[in-house]
Amino acid sequence: MAKQKLSGAEIVVEELKTEGAEVAFGIPGGALLDLYDVLYKEEAIRHILMRHEQCAAHAADGYARVSGKAGVCIATSGPGATNLVTGLANANMDSSPVVALTGQVPTSVIGTNAFQEASTFTITMPITKHNFLVKRTEDLPKVIHNAFYIANTGRKGVVLVDLPTDILAGVAEVDLHPKETFAGYKPNIKPNQVQIKRVVEVLANAERPLILAGGGVISADAAEELRHLADFLGAPVVTTLMGKGAIPENHPFCLGMAGMHGQLYANRAINECDALLALGTRFSDRTTGWQLDQFAPDATLIHVDIDTAEINKNMQVDIPIVGDVKLALSGILKLLEKKRAKKSGSEWEKRIKKMHSACDSCVEDISMEGASVSDMLIKEISRILDDDAIVTTEVGQCQMFAAHYYMTRKPRTFISSGGLGTMGFGFPAAIGAKVAAPDKKVVDIAGDGSFLMTCQDMATCVENDIPVVVCIFDNRYLGMVRQWQELFYEKKYAHTGLGITPDFVKLAGAFGCYSERVEKPEDLKDALNNAFESGKPAVLDMIVGKEDKVLPMIPPGGGITGMIGTERCKHI
Amino acid sequence: MQTHIISLLVEDNPGVLTRMSGMFTQRGINITSLTVSPCEKEGLSRMTVAIEGSESELEMVRKQLSNLIEVVKVVDLKESEAIIRDLCLLKVHAKDPEARSEVMQLAEAYGAKILDATLDSVTLELKEEPKKIDRFVDLMRHFGVKQLFRTGVTAIGIGIGVGAGAGGGVEK
Ligand SMILES: Cc1cc2nc3c(=O)[nH]c(=O)nc-3n(C[C@H](O)[C@H](O)[C@H](O)COP(=O)(O)OP(=O)(O)OC[C@H]3O[C@@H](n4cnc5c(N)ncnc54)[C@H](O)[C@@H]3O)c2cc1C
Ligand SMILES: Cc1ncc(C[n+]2csc(CCOP(=O)(O)OP(=O)(O)O)c2C)c(N)n1
Repeated sequence: MAKQKLSGAEIVVEELKTEGAEVAFGIPGGALLDLYDVLYKEEAIRHILMRHEQCAAHAADGYARVSGKAGVCIATSGPGATNLVTGLANANMDSSPVVALTGQVPTSVIGTNAFQEASTFTITMPITKHNFLVKRTEDLPKVIHNAFYIANTGRKGVVLVDLPTDILAGVAEVDLHPKETFAGYKPNIKPNQVQIKRVVEVLANAERPLILAGGGVISADAAEELRHLADFLGAPVVTTLMGKGAIPENHPFCLGMAGMHGQLYANRAINECDALLALGTRFSDRTTGWQLDQFAPDATLIHVDIDTAEINKNMQVDIPIVGDVKLALSGILKLLEKKRAKKSGSEWEKRIKKMHSACDSCVEDISMEGASVSDMLIKEISRILDDDAIVTTEVGQCQMFAAHYYMTRKPRTFISSGGLGTMGFGFPAAIGAKVAAPDKKVVDIAGDGSFLMTCQDMATCVENDIPVVVCIFDNRYLGMVRQWQELFYEKKYAHTGLGITPDFVKLAGAFGCYSERVEKPEDLKDALNNAFESGKPAVLDMIVGKEDKVLPMIPPGGGITGMIGTERCKHI
Repeated sequence: MQTHIISLLVEDNPGVLTRMSGMFTQRGINITSLTVSPCEKEGLSRMTVAIEGSESELEMVRKQLSNLIEVVKVVDLKESEAIIRDLCLLKVHAKDPEARSEVMQLAEAYGAKILDATLDSVTLELKEEPKKIDRFVDLMRHFGVKQLFRTGVTAIGIGIGVGAGAGGGVEK
């Protein structure tokens, strides 16, 4: 293609379109006037005006997790960029592909404390996979192309592009759509065949194999391969929080989420297995507990991960496979099928089925005897929503109630802030999710404390007709912290009470949302139906027990066989 | 704790040094010496980083450095397989003629060059393995070191195929 003479802003928008960006979440400002001037005329990109830049980043993140494509967010220089920081750190921690564009003061005054100057490049360096400060208009095609390429490949993550005003306003003759990348960036995706053979050897001979599926399985779109392998091996599957949805939780081999707030028997299975196949997980302490001698003590540990730096980081493993988990799984299956027949009817399989029947998220009609109002509300939401519905969560007890009781049936339908644990994530992530999947129901499982951190974006929902439903678990506490104070700090509730204001029903009403209070779990079904039928963004203020607790749990310092608060669990 | 020397080939972009050193800072690892210079290939620079740490820390650092987009190659240079050099400039007190001649004799024994001499000091240059420089500096402290400058280590692999050269070496 012949060279074209374009302004920096035009180049950015052209390259965004080439990279398949259809939506951008952002807020303009002085440093971005040129970019917004081009976006104004551009019909191929839907720009959604958010009410806070943190929400723009979370919405782009939510969009990415649901669509599998990089989400785009835009913020102006200085405060716009610093407001993005939490959202970018959050996305990067959870390996979610996001491309952030920020305005910057003109190159001639960078470093002079110019109006609305912040060193976005240095601030965001440790919380992004990569970032760019563009110094020449003619570099823009390569930079934007690489931003998407880097965000979307290997271990996905956040790439930020800082755009000084003179670079956006400047004109250059450029070749659009370059293919050039970095000599040193070779996302390692093809697994080593020798390692695959070793893994197959172990799995073929294991009596009690177990699969631990993490966020990497979802990011690699490898759910299908995972289910085949589990079926073929007769191996149970436990997940991390980020892996929820990698396998339908009602699959007879699924044992739910493992870890600190996991299912009692998911953790037991990890303790009992003799081969553990860990897929796309980073063995966070929330998954493994703190007594590593209780974590798969008798097992040959196999770890498949695309990031070499995750191998032997938190857990010493016996057989590592560095590469894409989808490719690794097909490689393993292919060899395994040649090696031996499908296994069924083993003792282990019988035990798995029993363990499955005791898993709170795997069984829809599990007994809720002795359960708290919060427990029952989540179970009710789980029953009401269809398989395709998307649940996002805030952070705290609400999130863990959801992890524990919500039956996730498809990948990319359980969207939660895992690594950073960012209160205020769920609602803007729901906005991004709904934009990515307008035909699906989207529900944010919220705590009152979390919702108050980003609720101003109800305005965005109403204005842009993005009907997500927020279900507030209204306990008037920063509940998760209060739970720790109750259990481990002699009930001294230091600054965890939220008082009695605001009235969430009125607050949501003032923004133009549908809103309703839910006093009892039995009333939830009608309320949710009303919310969906209203066709509007909606807020349900669900009154829950002020002192409801998320149990069972591994106490701090404990191991996976040391869960406390197991009284209500079904024991097998 | 052990000294490790890591040789990096990086894209010569602004910010690459911050990115690289930030990686160490985030992990609480102290860089004991660092040199950056152009290399045989245009557009690339070579960095030689010396750190103190355990084997497992080194392993982690190596992998994390490889993950940086602008890092083209990472090589962990073992002492036995590399030629390691440092350059030291130092000014030693030598007012007393006896001390001065002793400083000069020692300098000669170590192969240090005498760059300048005044009535009260001698300025020396020594280009050597870092350990040998350490020993020399220790000796000179005996006379009183007024000023000490070291460039930091640079290192090259022995033979072909070792070291982060633009040709050969270990690809990421
Ligand atoms: C209040 C709270 C409580 C929590 N409790 C729990 C709990 O009880 N249990 C729990 O498990 N978590 C819990 N978490 C979440 C926890 O903090 C971590 O976020 C989570 O465990 C990490 O999930 P993961 O290991 O699947 O890794 P992720 O963070 O999802 O990382 C993905 C991994 O897969 C790799 N990967 C990415 N793409 C690919 C690919 N294509 N092929 C191969 N590998 C790939 C990456 O390199 C990385 O190692 C909790 C969080 C909060 C906020
Ligand atoms: C931005 C942020 N600040 C503080 C915390 C620490 N924190 C973790 S959970 C929690 C309480 C959350 O309260 P709420 O949203 O009401 O949910 P609940 O636990 O009551 O369900 C707090 C303060 C956090 N995770 N994120």
